[in-house]
Amino acid sequence: MKKILSTLSLSLSLAISAVAQQTMPINGTHDVRHSYYAFTHAHIYQDYATSLDDATLLVKDGNVVDIGTSVALPKGTVVYDCKGKTIYPSFIDLYTSYGMPVIPADKRPHKGPGPQMNTITPGAFDANQAVRPQDDAEEIFHASYAEAAQYRNLGFGLALTSDHDGIAQGSFALVTLADTNDQEAILEGKAAAGYSLNKGSSTQDYPSSLMGAISVLRQAYYDATWYKGAKHKTEYNLSLEAFNELQPLPQIFAVDGKLSALRADKIAREFNVNYIIKSNGDEYELLDAVKSTGREFIVPVNFPDKPNVQDPYDAVMVNLTTLMHWQMAPLNPGAMEKAGIAFALTADGLKDKNAFWTNIRKAVKYGLTPQGALKALTYTPAQMMHMQDKVGSLKKGMMANFIVTSGDMFKQGTVIYSNWIKGCPNQVNDTTNVDLRGNYTLTINSNQTYTLEVKGDVANPTATVLDAPKHGLAAYIHVNNPMVTISFRSKFDSAYAIRLNGLLSSDNKTISGTGLDGTQALTWQAVFASPMGPDTTHEPVLTIPTLAQVRYPFQAYGRTKAEEDSIKKVSKEFVIRNATVWTGEGDSALLNTDVYVKDGKITAIGKNLTASKDATVIDGTGKYLTAGIIDEHSHIAIQGGVNEDGEANSSNVRIGDVINSEDISIYRSLSGGVTGAQLLHGSANPIGGQSGIVKLRWGVLPEEMKISYSSQFIKFALGENVKQSNWGDLQTVRYPQTRMGVEQFYYDRFIHAKEYEAAMKSYSALKDKSMDAPRRDLQMDALVEILNGQRFITCHSYVQSEINMLMHVADSMHFQFNTFTHGLEAYKVADKLAARHIGVSTFADWWAYKMEVMEAIPYNAAITTKMGIVTAINSDDDEMQRRLNQEAAKTVKYGGLTEQQAWRTVTLNPAKLLHLDAHTGSIKVGKDADIVLWSGNPLSVYSMALKTFVDGVCEFDRQEDAAMRLEIAQEKADIINQVLKDPSKNMAGAPTGRRRR
Amino acid sequence: MKNTILTFSLLVFSFSLCFAQQPIPAKPETKSILLMNGTVHIGNGQVIQNGVIGIKNGKLVLVGDATTIKLEAGAYDTTINCFGKQIYPGFIAPDCSLGLVETESVRAQTDVEDVGLLNPELRSLIAFNTDSKITPVARINGVLTGQIAPRGGLISGTSSVMSFEGWNWEDAQYKADDGVHLNWPEVLHRIRINEDELGGYTENKNYNRQVQVLTKFFADAQAYCQDTKHDETNVKFEAMRGIFNGSETLFIHADFVKEILAAITTIKGFTIPKIVLVGGRDSWMITDFLKKNNIAVIVRRLHSQPGTPEGDVDETYKLPAELQKAGILFCLGTAGDMEQNATRNLPFLAGTAAAYGLSPEEAVESITLNAAKVLGIDAQTGSLEPGKDATLIISSGDALDMRTNNIIWACIKGKAIQLTSVQTALYNKYKDKYGLK
Repeated sequence: MKKILSTLSLSLSLAISAVAQQTMPINGTHDVRHSYYAFTHAHIYQDYATSLDDATLLVKDGNVVDIGTSVALPKGTVVYDCKGKTIYPSFIDLYTSYGMPVIPADKRPHKGPGPQMNTITPGAFDANQAVRPQDDAEEIFHASYAEAAQYRNLGFGLALTSDHDGIAQGSFALVTLADTNDQEAILEGKAAAGYSLNKGSSTQDYPSSLMGAISVLRQAYYDATWYKGAKHKTEYNLSLEAFNELQPLPQIFAVDGKLSALRADKIAREFNVNYIIKSNGDEYELLDAVKSTGREFIVPVNFPDKPNVQDPYDAVMVNLTTLMHWQMAPLNPGAMEKAGIAFALTADGLKDKNAFWTNIRKAVKYGLTPQGALKALTYTPAQMMHMQDKVGSLKKGMMANFIVTSGDMFKQGTVIYSNWIKGCPNQVNDTTNVDLRGNYTLTINSNQTYTLEVKGDVANPTATVLDAPKHGLAAYIHVNNPMVTISFRSKFDSAYAIRLNGLLSSDNKTISGTGLDGTQALTWQAVFASPMGPDTTHEPVLTIPTLAQVRYPFQAYGRTKAEEDSIKKVSKEFVIRNATVWTGEGDSALLNTDVYVKDGKITAIGKNLTASKDATVIDGTGKYLTAGIIDEHSHIAIQGGVNEDGEANSSNVRIGDVINSEDISIYRSLSGGVTGAQLLHGSANPIGGQSGIVKLRWGVLPEEMKISYSSQFIKFALGENVKQSNWGDLQTVRYPQTRMGVEQFYYDRFIHAKEYEAAMKSYSALKDKSMDAPRRDLQMDALVEILNGQRFITCHSYVQSEINMLMHVADSMHFQFNTFTHGLEAYKVADKLAARHIGVSTFADWWAYKMEVMEAIPYNAAITTKMGIVTAINSDDDEMQRRLNQEAAKTVKYGGLTEQQAWRTVTLNPAKLLHLDAHTGSIKVGKDADIVLWSGNPLSVYSMALKTFVDGVCEFDRQEDAAMRLEIAQEKADIINQVLKDPSKNMAGAPTGRRRR
Repeated sequence: MKNTILTFSLLVFSFSLCFAQQPIPAKPETKSILLMNGTVHIGNGQVIQNGVIGIKNGKLVLVGDATTIKLEAGAYDTTINCFGKQIYPGFIAPDCSLGLVETESVRAQTDVEDVGLLNPELRSLIAFNTDSKITPVARINGVLTGQIAPRGGLISGTSSVMSFEGWNWEDAQYKADDGVHLNWPEVLHRIRINEDELGGYTENKNYNRQVQVLTKFFADAQAYCQDTKHDETNVKFEAMRGIFNGSETLFIHADFVKEILAAITTIKGFTIPKIVLVGGRDSWMITDFLKKNNIAVIVRRLHSQPGTPEGDVDETYKLPAELQKAGILFCLGTAGDMEQNATRNLPFLAGTAAAYGLSPEEAVESITLNAAKVLGIDAQTGSLEPGKDATLIISSGDALDMRTNNIIWACIKGKAIQLTSVQTALYNKYKDKYGLK
């Protein structure tokens, strides 16, 4: 019996190959079918844009033979009458892991004790474990009936598949979703190449951050170019070989959010490649920027589950971004279409793939045109794979991949009957099913009469039985033509359910048969009485938001485009009158003074300045006006990790690559009068990463936050952090572990950088380039810049010995050292620092949190200032950053600086340390209007910033803030109200914030 | 007896000569002192513009208005002219860990958290290090008293109120074993995206189990404490006796509104006479509830970020004003990151509270008398009222503003204390090296 069953299940496959030439031995007799199949009287979409009524599709040997309204059927054609049905080209999903092995969590190579400095991939592969272009999906692909069926049931015929592991992921395979063997399923073994900023299963420490991942990829491009050009290869590298081989293929770059989409674009521009960006469905939040990349996108429809806001206190913890994204995510596909961005749709990212059509239809309701949706499911993905002549449409000679449906796929209730792949059918829903929906008179044993209502989907109808007094009794109905099963309880408290089995009459109007009421046999029949009434189930109407409601940033206190425009308008030209002005330049305040601002610059300072009629007048009476605060040491607005701690030298990573322009800390710092900051890499390694020097412009792109005229900086660090003293007992492997090692590490890297530069220079001087080029090394590039005075160091430092040491390193390497940040024992070597014109950026009063700060004193800033050192007070902390005015005040208390000196520690002095002082940091004609209006003496704990201007734009206004609080509360309430109306059952388990990206 | 009249220039000068790293505890003061003509911030919300304060035998014997009080000549041994100066009760830091932790990152210098979840038996009292280099730094800013609390677990241990002056912990104790600290389990955990970025919140899946562990402990302890003799002694339960009989306070640490509601309602069920809420980030949402249950609040460090991105930028700063408006007893706490350093900034938290809605004297009250009330030491200290300990500070300017805070003289129980520290010593050492003024 067992044997027979298994043979049966094999031959049950409908997808009998039309191709005879195969290597698989045939067990039994050949069963090759070269029949013609005709699908007649159907509504057929030839492609996304054109459809034919009452048309015929003729298929043979897996290909389309003909299509049209007058197709002649050859003799021996199997004809399927598709009257009332609609045929579409089947869909293509370019982002799947169909048929890929799943590595169970416990089988992944574990991180060993302590750090893993080098790759553990055996073989001549890349130095970084996450660079694995040698991986080919075709080699690990194995067709899976269940997985394929899941996609086929949604209408997909082809899938691009990969395990998507690593930063350079290797090649993706294009496969059919047919129920077939692996040899036949693969259409293109190497169809595309994949990239991401996620190191995946790599266990190597480096990269530990987003900026590190970007660096790894950039270095891989440089390495691949170098490798390709080298005639005498110094190493054999399979990864770089593969990397180069994959370049001609479509390049797919997966990102986890819109900001990383922009990062991918930046990499594409650097290396002149074209990425198709697989996104996370939030492009609508930065649509203009996304459009301006000019890239094509693969877009998910993973609209978020509704947040849990039932409990009013839980709802407090659900942030506005989460709520707005819940409400607006379905706008995304339509918004992209309207913006003219080429995109394909994918089912990726759906926890439940069955939600795909619910969400596609929702997107259509939210503005995506059905034609746009169909294009994104058929033509566009085919075109992205350069296969638009083979798949994605139904034209003569193209692959016969199509679905037969009950009607318009973009309407609720439409079902797919069958999904044909290479001319072979796969049943999705029973094609023989009839539409039984309607009202019936149900008679049992000729003496009990009920009404039977059948409604719902054609394929999955639901039933209700009404008794004589019209009480609705929940009933079960199952139709398997021609057999029908119904069961229900005649009364709520009936001992037994009535169970009926019947057969459908040929006119589909009568069902009759026998059944059981407990043990009592019965006969029954149901006679069609009337068609189904209008659907009375009341679906609440949800408000469909518009793109005009999008806030920039997509965050509380973000502004809509309209709000932003109106602020820019009043900021164009204004005068602040009659304020006490601390210019930061002199040693006393200017009383009752006006400051005039036009086009973002300070144009005049004086008394009773004449204002043009366009100028906004702001009354500064009783208030103080100062330059904006600049934080020399900030870690706000950084995405994906502040430290790249995988290696002791991370000079290749750039904070500028990972600025998060949506961090609420930007707004909060503006509320504390901060207008500029150096976004610093952390202190996990002696040579840290490159800084991002920004103005706190709120609601702009990361690149637009950067200060165009700033010098380039890099973070170094000394002491306990770099020697990993407080990292736990396992972290004793990475060199250096002592202050002695730190010194030698610097010497070694700088000496090496000099040699590197010499090699680069002598190569570029060569006329005859027959010699191999030296390998470009991003780490060395940054060090060469330091040596050449093109990049400046700000070094995290505590104790005097190491400060002294690093000054000697700089001396011997002949570069000007810029700043000791923290520099908590700078006061002990203040004379040495002053002699070398090195600046100090320190804490007002931090100490006691580790050994090396036990002699940190709050008088540090006063001593270094009095010794003639340019001294700044910094925050290194989100909360303190918005109170830097108060931290500056502590230098008056500890060590007796004058108020003007104290104020300069957070304005002009950090501007000097960052080489910004020609443009900002004080109130001076011609400088940027980075200014703050304070309620009182800015050094006082009782004062607060009333207005903070960056480049003359009022980025924070305490009155506007008060209004926005009300607006935000209202918006939250409105969206929560929508959430509560939403009938969908899926709900996030607990209040969660959307991952900040 | 010679009547000395001192001015502050003299006093300050004498201290600047002092290079001692660590202040030496003062000898008992035998002389009586009169502070004349200063602005006296009583600590109870009142202020006397031109006040006099008389100190004898470590106690305040006179606090009044100089314009109305008649003084007998020579009634005091020493008179200090405080014209233009601000006089406050010594500031009181509740819920801090000075003396338990010297260098946060060094295990050997950390005595604040022990093994186990339920440790009411741990007593901060006996671990309090009077030779700490940190407490003198807090004193210089006016913080003279602190409640020293163990940390960690569900029940961290038993705190004591300590004076920041003394040769050893016996000397320094102000109120031994004043209360037990309970950390209510989190309903929601904050998601950490990575070391540096915070995300939203996620459900604490162990919440119910943790609450069960706690409530069973309280039920068992309550039953145990009904009897004084046991065949087998349970030191954990013994440490809970004071909580049930009202001689000690239960300090419940909770921030999220649902945690506060659940904690207080659950714990009230064990008929515990004195409960104080610590943290209370969301306490402004449920002031009626707190009032009805007569719960005082030690407000979490004001200098912190709002709990959600859309929280008002001043959400944390204005919390004291919200509680004041609702008539809830509260004082200001400094616990949190790097709290060894944070304690010295207690006065500036009060300054911030004043900037965001408290009146100046209410702000003073929030770190003096209110704190004394919350810790149950208000009969002895917390305000400048006759009969109380003479624990006070004199600042040349407004002590709640870092711009003007400058403590020039201070006494604890009438003994003038040295306002020096390892920091002032290093300052002087290097000023000297460079010849700076």
